Parts: sequence; structure tokens; C-alpha cells
Amino acid sequence: MKVIPIKAQAGITGFESPAAEYKELGLSLDQLLVNHPNATFIGLASGDSMQGVGIFDGDLLLVDRAVSPQQNDVIVANFNNEFVCKLLDLQNRVLRSASTLYAPVKISECDQFQLEGVVTGSIRMHRKNSGLTRCMR
Amino acid sequence: MYALVDATSFYASAEKVFDPRIRNKPVVVLSNNDGCIVAASPEAKRLNIPKFQPYFKLKSVLAEHNVVIRSSNYELYADLSDKMMKVINQFSDNHHIYSIDESFLKFEGFGDLVDSWEQYGHVIRRSVWRSTKLPVGVGFGPTPTLAKAANHAAKKFKNATGVAVINNQQSRRQILANLNVEDVWGIGKRLTKQLNQQGIYSALDLANQNPRLMRKQFSVVLERTVSELNGEACLSWHEITQRKKEIYSTRSFGERITDPKALKAALATHCAIVSKKLRKQNSLAKNIVIFAHSSPFEDRYYKKSFIQKLPVASSDVRVFTKAVSDIFHQLFQSGVKYYKAGVGAIELEDDTFLQTDLFSQSQDSPALMKCLDEINTRFGNHTARTGAQLQSNAWHMRRAFLSPYYTTRWSDIPLIKCQ
Repeated sequence: MKVIPIKAQAGITGFESPAAEYKELGLSLDQLLVNHPNATFIGLASGDSMQGVGIFDGDLLLVDRAVSPQQNDVIVANFNNEFVCKLLDLQNRVLRSASTLYAPVKISECDQFQLEGVVTGSIRMHRKNSGLTRCMR
Repeated sequence: MYALVDATSFYASAEKVFDPRIRNKPVVVLSNNDGCIVAASPEAKRLNIPKFQPYFKLKSVLAEHNVVIRSSNYELYADLSDKMMKVINQFSDNHHIYSIDESFLKFEGFGDLVDSWEQYGHVIRRSVWRSTKLPVGVGFGPTPTLAKAANHAAKKFKNATGVAVINNQQSRRQILANLNVEDVWGIGKRLTKQLNQQGIYSALDLANQNPRLMRKQFSVVLERTVSELNGEACLSWHEITQRKKEIYSTRSFGERITDPKALKAALATHCAIVSKKLRKQNSLAKNIVIFAHSSPFEDRYYKKSFIQKLPVASSDVRVFTKAVSDIFHQLFQSGVKYYKAGVGAIELEDDTFLQTDLFSQSQDSPALMKCLDEINTRFGNHTARTGAQLQSNAWHMRRAFLSPYYTTRWSDIPLIKCQ
């Protein structure tokens, strides 16, 4: 255990903070949320089909390309020339929505399908963030 | 063993990463001011669209084939390049980034660890593709020049698989015999002509020359290239990773400039760019070149350039800007429609070995420059700038087909449909 070898005294000025050597860098959200910085990109969710897993319109999606997809992962795919966010049913080759309003989509031979990455996290703003409001084009 | 890893039509490929609509389409990217085609995706190459041709000449051909046109989005390319390089960096402990889209790897003591270079190359390719959605080619060879030749084979030869290896006489001869001499690393157009006149057409022809004779007839550089093509490493790793000896920032204007203030502001911005690059590689410039000219294709072609010697070698934007300011009245002539201007730093030296002079003290403030660079790295280029840059922005680039800054600006992040 480290002991601070200086008694705190009032009235002395110009003393270096005794806590200085205990200072660490502040917490970084990147460190917590992004496991593969070179393979991760950030996208903007648009639509309500994934509300069942807590992804709402305007949420930020962290998409990790280095993670291998597993059954029922939330993924982003290039499906017929669009980036879509869906639940991946690998066994049945089906893309599911997390909402009863949207029917599952079967991936057929004629479809263009390319996995882009796994959604490892999503971020929702509970107050308007001007930086993000601007991108709701 | 050396490897050269580079991206296939990097700019065009980068445009496809965040735009799924154009993944399978022919894409071309235009140079500054949308002047020429500088990159073409493989689909566009198959349409025989020539590179380095003025855009306006090819407009109708491009439209006819529904080719996607993009302006150069350097912000996007720089970020994707950085990510790509970091992925490549994982495959060797000795990595040198040679340009925005190509890098060398050096493998020492890897002999027992790698069973097959061919397979290792494919692991690199898959890994880069998966992490960044950028296609790369990988060439292996016992010298940097042979690695470069193998890379060419990996991408451009018939039945190319994206990986090629030179690791014995047979593979060396086979690849070099099919490589034009002009595609050998370091052989320019002019040299190609001279070599062709002597009956040297393929890389193998060149490899079969007597190195000493080549030195006598041409240069020591060509002698080394010949040795390198024969598997004898002459370029030391240090030479490959050598720092740039000259740094330029030049640009043609979106619209012709006649206003002295606008021209001065453009030159001031070039000062900022050049000095920042110098600081990044810890160099100082003894001389700077300043030039401006009108279009050589228009009447009354006017060109002026000056070399300003700095009293003390510098990398401070204020010193550069003052040098521009001092000669500006000699450079500018009213009535000239300026087409292009630029600033270059020449005669560079290492800032740790600076010769100091008792009578002319350096005007540089490294602390101030460090602060400036940190602000601009954090908040975007030219956030903090010299007053001279501020006077006008009339000279800015024309980029009519610019894609969003998908990875560097919050307002531009890609949209993902949840519908």
C-alpha cells in the first residue's frame, strides 16, 4: 500500500498536491466500448425494426468487423446494396427483425449479401446532441 | 524476406467501403479540382477507361457506362489508410509505410515460423479485407525490389490471386520475364526508353545485365537495381525508410485567381501544410521554393518562382509565411489569371543536428508549433491558423463529387437501416 508521506497542512501555499502521483488518465469510452479500433466503425440507426433489442431510431451503432458472428447476433450486412441491421439466424439463412411488424427475410441465391460486422454495442442519447442532430439528414 | 502490401486502386476501393450501393459498380476518382482520373476500380479498368486523362474529355464515355464519379476525399482516405496500416503492422515486427496505400514488411528470423509465404500472404489479405473492407495485394521477395515485382505479379498478371512469391530461381525468372522493365521499382519513363533502345524490355533482361556496366552507362542507382533483381539486397532497410528530402504543397485553383489577397492566402496555407509535414518528420528546411503560374494552355502564360534562403533552418509556419510575404510583391503581377501556386521545402536537415549560429538566432518556437499541431490534430486541419491564411477562401478546391467524411465527422457517419 502506498502511504502519502506528507501531512496535509492548511496555510501553506505552493505545495504540490500530494495526490499528484496517484493521478491516472481519465476513463475513456473508446477503451471500454471499442475492442478492435482498426476494424470498428460507427453508424447511425434509422428505423424501428430493432426496438425489441433496444435499438431505436437515431441510436449510434458500434459495428465490429473483427468479431465472428454467432447465432442470433445483431449484425450489419450489405443486403442488396443497403446497410441493414438485423438479427442473424445463421442456421436458417434468415435475417430477422426485433419487431413483430417486420417479417423475417430469407437470404436467397439472387440476393446480394455481405456481412459487414457485428453490432457490439449501441448508444442512445437521452438529450438532444447537436452533433448528432445534424446528421439526421 | 520482404513483403510489399498495397491496396488495389486504393482511392476507388476506399469510396466503396461505406457506400454499399457502389460496391459492384465501376468507380473512378478525380484528382484535385476534379481535373483528371487518378484511380479506377477494377470494374472501371475493365471498361478501358484510361487513367490520368482530363475528366472533361471522358465525361460522355463515363456517363455511357454509368461509371460512378467521385472527387478525392482525402479525409476519408487518410483515415482508412491509417486503419489498414495498423492491421498490416500486426504481421511483422518491422513495418514501413511507404505511401498512403503501400507498405513494406521485413521478416528476419521468420524462416521457421512461416511454412508457406503464399499462405501467409493470403492471411494478410483476408485480415485486411475483413477489418477494413479494402482489397490488398501482397508480394514477397528476398529484396525490396523483388517484393515490389512480386506485388505487381500478384495483382496484374493473368490468373493473379492477390499473392505472389519470389523465393527461388524459378519463381524469380518466371515473374521477371513477364514484367516490363518500366514496371521495375525505380525505373522511370525516360530510363525505360533508353533501356529499350539497348534491347532491354523485360525485368529479366535488366537482371541479366552486368551491374558494373549499368553503373558506367547510367548510374549507381541502376547498378543497385540490377543487383536487387538478382536477389542481392543492396537497398538497406534504412534507405527504404528514409525520410523525404523535399516536401511540397501545391495545388491548382478551382477557379482562376486574379486577386493578390487570395493568392497570398493560398500560399500562406501551403506554408502551413509544408511546415506541419516538416515538423512531423522532425526536419528543418534551409531553403523554401515559392511559385505561382497561370495555365500553360491559355494565352500569356506567366510563371514565377523564387527560392528563399532562410537565415536559420526552420519548420515554423511564421518564418515561412514571412518569407512569402517578403517576396510577394515580386511574385504577383496584376492581370494574370493564376492557375496554380505552391510552396516547397528543400534542403532539409534533421532538427537534432541543427547547426546554430551565434549571430542569427532561430526564430522558431517549437512549443508554439507543438501546440498548434495538437489543436489541429484534435479539432481538424486549419482550426488554428495564421492570420495570413484567413484573408480569403476563394482559392479552395473544386470537389463537386465529394463523398461524406464517413469516419471523421459525426454528421457524416453511415446510415444503417432498421426497417
